[in-house]
Amino acid sequence: MAYFMGIDIGSGTSKGVIVAAAQPLASHLLPSGVDYKATAQRLREELLARAGLSSEAIGYTVATGQGADSVSFSNQQVADTRCCARGINNIFPSVRTVIDVQGMFTQVIRLSEKGQVTNFVISEKCAAGSGRFLDIIANVLRIDLKDIGPLSLKARNPVTFTTGCAVFGESEAISRVSEGASKEDILAGVHRALANKISTLIDRVGLEKDCAIAGGGALNVGLVRSVEEALSIKLLVPPQPQFITALGAAIMAEEQAQLVV
Amino acid sequence: MMEQKKKKAINRLQTMYPLRANIDKMYERGVEASKTGKPTAWCMVNWWEADPILKAMDVEVVYPENYGAVCAAFGTAPAYLDRSDADGFPTHMCGYARNCIGYTSRMTELGQIPPEAPMGGMAKPFLLLCSGALCDARYKWFQALGRYLDAPVWTVEIPHIGVAESQDPATRAQVIKFMVKELGEFVKFMERMLNKKMDWDKLAEVTDDLIKVNRLWHEINELRKARPCPMHSRDFWSCMNASLYPAGDPKESLKLYQDMYTEVKDRVDKKIGAVANEKYRMLFAELPPWHDLKIFDELADRGWNFVVESWAYHPAKPIDTTKVSNPLERIAAETYHWLTGYFDEAYKAKEYMGYFAYPYLEWARTYQCDGGLLHPLLTCRTATNHLMLIQDRLLNKLKVPTLVAEGDIVDLKLFNHAETMRKAETLEEMMDHYKQKRRDEGLEW
Repeated sequence: MAYFMGIDIGSGTSKGVIVAAAQPLASHLLPSGVDYKATAQRLREELLARAGLSSEAIGYTVATGQGADSVSFSNQQVADTRCCARGINNIFPSVRTVIDVQGMFTQVIRLSEKGQVTNFVISEKCAAGSGRFLDIIANVLRIDLKDIGPLSLKARNPVTFTTGCAVFGESEAISRVSEGASKEDILAGVHRALANKISTLIDRVGLEKDCAIAGGGALNVGLVRSVEEALSIKLLVPPQPQFITALGAAIMAEEQAQLVV
Repeated sequence: MMEQKKKKAINRLQTMYPLRANIDKMYERGVEASKTGKPTAWCMVNWWEADPILKAMDVEVVYPENYGAVCAAFGTAPAYLDRSDADGFPTHMCGYARNCIGYTSRMTELGQIPPEAPMGGMAKPFLLLCSGALCDARYKWFQALGRYLDAPVWTVEIPHIGVAESQDPATRAQVIKFMVKELGEFVKFMERMLNKKMDWDKLAEVTDDLIKVNRLWHEINELRKARPCPMHSRDFWSCMNASLYPAGDPKESLKLYQDMYTEVKDRVDKKIGAVANEKYRMLFAELPPWHDLKIFDELADRGWNFVVESWAYHPAKPIDTTKVSNPLERIAAETYHWLTGYFDEAYKAKEYMGYFAYPYLEWARTYQCDGGLLHPLLTCRTATNHLMLIQDRLLNKLKVPTLVAEGDIVDLKLFNHAETMRKAETLEEMMDHYKQKRRDEGLEW
């Protein structure tokens, strides 16, 4: 049996997956910290331990994400856009559009039936529409990031944010808190602002069903519901959405290994 | 052991170097002219509407837009941009304007050309010549220079008509009449400024020379339709200024372009490409990141050969204006044709996208492009506002995918080299996908 590894070093968290015959065998997640190189090594060791493998058993490794350069043991680097498309194609072959909400940015990817990227757009140079925006608001409201999704679903009168900008959004959230708005209503408002931003990205590349949502942002049930409402569709959410890009990297490692042979 | 120098992936044209050197000498010529009391003008790119008049009246001309690119490439732009910001000009203003304002502010403070100014710098002008072509807001930049310089500002205009309006012969006649009147007034103004009369025979000769230069430059670029493409966009940008601005003596430029034509034709005959393994034939839209031209070498390493680029910096498709006896009318006809030269085809194709967008559709097809790199300039609305439309039309009509890499012509803070390279890899996957799609749909390439 041949094994393949995908390592996704993101700005907030780093994810790793080992696959065999395109099926996930082990996965692991670590905070990225500031030393990406050390994080990549630790991630590799933990993955191998979980899979009960030695490093020699890994036939090929693909690195991706913001810190892909720091994965010294990788055989190849591949863009995270391509990895995300391959990963979602592995879980949901019917998906033709995927929304990938990452810490640094959000991207919308159109893909073929083979998981090939056919178009994409990235919210860049700005934290609007990214997971970072949620981090900032969670910090303002003094609540844990994992709680903001369920809390927002209890909103009665969601606040309308006049901006999608993370910097101005922070100021606006503070203003709303001082005006007495509830945390639930503020969070629901933030999710709507993010959903609107994502909706404009979708407009750029067009929406073709099925549509999935991936990345750490897909763990947020409040955000997923807001995006569904903005797009008037039901989104497919993979079981471990934060691992989709790492899974795609591992699958590409397997494909590349076959090409090399 | 001596490290072996890596061979650059772009095979530059040998005839590019003397042509580029001749272009770059315009700054030295301006400084020399200034020292001897000869008039020197700062002039915006005006698509040959005012250039022949200035040349015929022996005015040395330098082009602050080109100088913005020079400062960006030499790394002196950031200090000039900071200087412009410190003087209170907005950071979202045109990068060329900010660079020029910062340069002028420093020159005024020092009372001389700043010592760090690349290529000898721009000498103090006796005239600031604006153009309303394409970027209608540019004249405000030269007006703003009034804070630092005691030089008159003159603007030459060209009415911008639409695709449908261009089909009415009366509209053309009206625009030409307007332009001829404008140019006549400019000649009178120059005669007054210089205290000498226009030599109309000389103006006719200069106009004729410039038309020949543009025709030859057009023919060189037509040769780039060959597979593999013999000339990369880097060479286009290095040499375009002998035509576009037009820098240098037209007779000298004509000779140098002739040498270039011979070299490019030879490459076509021998099937020598500008990139050794031409995997992707690329189109580039708008002005490049002058501060990061090395990115094209990295992309060439991946087999990307940029075979054609922004329409606005190319000369018009040639027309015969030899029967027009009035040189001012001939100048007007040529510039008008540059602006509207693709409108007939656009009208037939029912593409009413105007002068900026349609040529990209035609060129993506005739140069058989696999993809495009679109460079929205965050400080230039004129070069940016059509790019999303182009992206949509190229993909949906011709199945040619493009990559958007935001940046700026001068301000390097606005361009992300690493991010662009990451996206480039994804675009390759898209180009492979759409190559098959084009075949499936019976497109020519």
